[in-house]
Amino acid sequence: MTGRFPGTSNSYPPKIQDTKGPMMSRSPSARSRPRSVLKLAAATIGAALALTACASTSTKTTSAQSDFKQAAQDTSSAITVWADSTRLPSVQAYQKAHPDVKMNIVTYDGSADGSTYLQTKVQLFDRTNKGWPDVVFGSPTDVTWASEPTSPSAQAYAAPLDQGLVPQTTLSNFAKGSLTPCQFNGHTYCLRNDIAQVVLWYNKALMDKWGYQVPTTWQEYQALGQKVAKEHPGYLVGAVGDTNSQESYFWSSQCPAQELTGNTTLRVNLSSPNCTRMASLLDSLISAKSVSTQGFFSQGFTKSYGSKVLMAYGPSWYGQYLFNAAFKTPAGQIAAAPPLKWDGESSTYTGNVGGGVWMVSSHSKNLSAATALTEWLTTSDANLKSAPTYPAYVPGAKTWLDNPANKDYFAAPISDAFQQAANDVWTGWGNTKFSDATAWSSVVLPALSAGKTLTSTLPAWQSAIVNEAKSVGYTVTTQ
Amino acid sequence: MSALSSSSDRLARRAAMRSRSSRLASGLVVVLFLAVLLIFFVLPAIWLLLAPTKTAGQLVSQFPLSFGSFANLGRAWSHLASFQGGVLFLWLRNSVVYSAGSLVLTLATSVPAGYALALTRFRGRKLLLSVTLIVMIMPNASLVLPIFLELNRFGLIGTIWSVILPFSFYPFGVYLVYIYFATSMPRDILSAARIDGANEWQVFRRIALPLARPVIGLVAFFSFVGNWNNFFLPYLVLPSSNEFPIQVGLNQLLSSTPSFNPVAGAGLDITSPELALAIVIAILPVLVMFLFSQRALVSGMLAGSTKE
Amino acid sequence: MTTVERVGAAGAVPAEQVRRRGVPRRRSLAGYAFVSGYTVLLMAFGVLPTLYAIDLAFTNASGQFVGLGQFTKVVRDFRFGPSFMHILLYLAMWLVLVVVLTVVVAVILRSRVSARTSGVFRFLFYIPGALAGVASVLVWLFMLDPAVSPVSWLLRALGFSTFAQVLAPQNLPAIFVLIAFWTGAGGWIVVMYGALNNISDEVMEAARVDGASPWKTAWYIQIPMIRKWIVYMAILAFAAGTQLFVEPQLLQTASLGRVDPTWSPNQLAYVFAFQHGDFNGAAAISIFLLTLGLMCAGILVTRSGLFKVEEQ
Repeated sequence: MTGRFPGTSNSYPPKIQDTKGPMMSRSPSARSRPRSVLKLAAATIGAALALTACASTSTKTTSAQSDFKQAAQDTSSAITVWADSTRLPSVQAYQKAHPDVKMNIVTYDGSADGSTYLQTKVQLFDRTNKGWPDVVFGSPTDVTWASEPTSPSAQAYAAPLDQGLVPQTTLSNFAKGSLTPCQFNGHTYCLRNDIAQVVLWYNKALMDKWGYQVPTTWQEYQALGQKVAKEHPGYLVGAVGDTNSQESYFWSSQCPAQELTGNTTLRVNLSSPNCTRMASLLDSLISAKSVSTQGFFSQGFTKSYGSKVLMAYGPSWYGQYLFNAAFKTPAGQIAAAPPLKWDGESSTYTGNVGGGVWMVSSHSKNLSAATALTEWLTTSDANLKSAPTYPAYVPGAKTWLDNPANKDYFAAPISDAFQQAANDVWTGWGNTKFSDATAWSSVVLPALSAGKTLTSTLPAWQSAIVNEAKSVGYTVTTQ
Repeated sequence: MSALSSSSDRLARRAAMRSRSSRLASGLVVVLFLAVLLIFFVLPAIWLLLAPTKTAGQLVSQFPLSFGSFANLGRAWSHLASFQGGVLFLWLRNSVVYSAGSLVLTLATSVPAGYALALTRFRGRKLLLSVTLIVMIMPNASLVLPIFLELNRFGLIGTIWSVILPFSFYPFGVYLVYIYFATSMPRDILSAARIDGANEWQVFRRIALPLARPVIGLVAFFSFVGNWNNFFLPYLVLPSSNEFPIQVGLNQLLSSTPSFNPVAGAGLDITSPELALAIVIAILPVLVMFLFSQRALVSGMLAGSTKE
Repeated sequence: MTTVERVGAAGAVPAEQVRRRGVPRRRSLAGYAFVSGYTVLLMAFGVLPTLYAIDLAFTNASGQFVGLGQFTKVVRDFRFGPSFMHILLYLAMWLVLVVVLTVVVAVILRSRVSARTSGVFRFLFYIPGALAGVASVLVWLFMLDPAVSPVSWLLRALGFSTFAQVLAPQNLPAIFVLIAFWTGAGGWIVVMYGALNNISDEVMEAARVDGASPWKTAWYIQIPMIRKWIVYMAILAFAAGTQLFVEPQLLQTASLGRVDPTWSPNQLAYVFAFQHGDFNGAAAISIFLLTLGLMCAGILVTRSGLFKVEEQ
């Protein structure tokens, strides 16, 4: 809200101009033998070896600016929107309802599964100084870098929406804590699309048929898993093979896999009892074969197990997305129960799987159109009523829950489970600059596929997280 | 004597039999070996051609090498054509622009250069040739990142020139032309033309160029195919979807396909058959060129060194 | 494609018989004019990027000289060692396979099969070359998925029942070798065949008269006579193999992250440049790769005798 400063970044000469070009004036010497080219290269390296380093390899980046310089605005200019294919129909619906807004809609992977597509492209746009999408759907991880300049000469990609773009009243209507991944340095850089609070999904028809009680604690869950393995082999109470399974299980278990203890300090301690208890619980069910090491979303899962999922511990969007769309489970079978508790703990915590965000480009030439679209997507009843996932905007969530289309599919009301879970999300799983999907899916999942236990993979998982965290600048403790 | 000869006869016969049976065995090994290789090389291509005729479900449930139906093919086509407002056609057009644009520049620079390297003498010729050889042998991917950094330095990222210009640098083409002129250009004709008063440009334009038609075709083929299939450079330097060539577009299509990206891809019509169809469309121009220029290809790869 | 293309050049040895002296000045000037366009491109996209990468690799983001700082930084990076290990493993498998199989196939096609059949086979083997790049990876994604593969029985027999199992980290080098072989081997077979074809009929006839079996002829006569070509192929295949990027990058996208995003050194350089925005570190890695390529090229050009830049 303060005056607009040009920004401290100007005191740093832009990187590009700093590279002097001695090499550009150097013409190729008139040596005729190619071997002398090699000699030259060897000599160059040798000479460099002899010299000692006289500067640091990394230069300090300026701290994130909260203010941004708007581009010259043109309210009639077209806006470019990047959305994943799930959100595509919503954007197209907006276009239909607002034919006067010129829109250029692009489908991309939506930063799912730890994809860095958006980040790498914004890096490039920052260098070409054009091409940024005006509105983009991304993951909370994206906000960690989008709220900071990618280089000293660049401006942070995401526009601070609380600075005259989105009214404070709107912002305060988002579910408690749901905007936390959007907030940096006291500003809000994105609007949350949905909350993906983890609940216990179960097939009510089967549970009733077999006379099983819906578990309320992890211990009961484990016992039921063992029972199912014996009484109905082939049926599953869960799966850990997806890129985000760790968020369903380990996040819910309050495992300090990536606990932000400061802006740039991270606690990673997978030997904590909170992690090992979940690992050994899952190991026991994996060896009993009632938890699959394949992912719910892996190819072929629907074909071989789609009708054999008794329970699934996962995000609120599993209902429509997994059971209805992917498994094609008939309506009236699936229900959701509140998150599980650990015996002996007073309160319940759960995880969160995804929950996308919408960002507006700080470089947009049509901020008003871009912001209007973003608000419509995240707060309007028109869109949220039939949104594919549980809205983060509280009034929208009510509308969503009231919409029969979102309830009719289920065997029992889901509102209570959803609302309770939304308040139980553990806040210790930090929104870090790196995606938690990478280490999990490239280190843990292959080990599980190879038949190793989760417990024995924890150290490798930990070192993968630590390495990744350090490479993006975190100070890591493993205590 | 007779006993001896008969025993040696027997020996010889046995040896002949053994050699015949071993020849039979080795023949069998050869046939088997070639058959396995043939399957390895051809089967994936056949599967690819058949895949778009099936639905995603049939792809999993039906016999892999069965034909689905033309209706499925049509459906896959309409899904693909409507993906992101027909961006597929834009990608194909971009590919044509990038490949053809750089082809023109490649020919305009490499043919005269190869000619001059072979048939004229100037200071620095040997150096130029040596550097050309080295850059030609170096894998071109090793220069992509440095080229990106350089283009970035000059602010060319995201323009069509950031693809066309690096593409048109084609040392292999220069070397092909050089070899061609150096080995198969009758010098007497050139000298005769010079004596007749033709200047250097006229000698090149009227005499050398018409004779170089085969090698020009060859350079054009290799350059076009190489650039059409290039992924790394455009992937780095072109940030926006509307600028992608088809190869980079395929990557975007892949990441939008529910089969490979289920979390992001639900609710989209692009599934495995559509992806397979996109691959077929993407390689079609190159495949057609392969089929029709087989002879040129083989001779080009051997650059006149064989007796074929 | 690149490996295939480049091969061709090697065979020819220009037999120039040009007057060495008395080149008119006019023609020398014309020579400069003819090479000018190409020279500009060579400088711009061959020489200059190399020098610029070297410059970046020895400086930091503010342009200050840092000596070998960038190199030690990237070497110490936790992803550096694994990515080079991956590529070495891949190269070892790839080289053995491509050298052994292409030579064997070429020998068979040359001496055990009729010329007509051999031509058909060479063409069929070469066809996948048209699918180089992205297309080949996508095709193999399907081939290696037990759910859709036409050879799923084979995959299952090998103990793979899910795509995830196929993509186990220890299988990745083999998968990339498969893809590389599928698209590249056909071209090399054609080249090896051409080289074998160059062995004079007298030599082959003499071997036959001496009663040498086809295998013995191959081992003692044909293969030694094309040794130069085999070395040439091995070096080019090695150089190209160090640059692996498209295959692991696409597989990473398609495998839901089960493949390490920095599997190959080129991917690591990519991550440095595009995720960390660290162009200097990226340049340092690409200098490592450039040096490898340069060394291979230097050895081939100066030692193999396959290229001639001087008049004879």
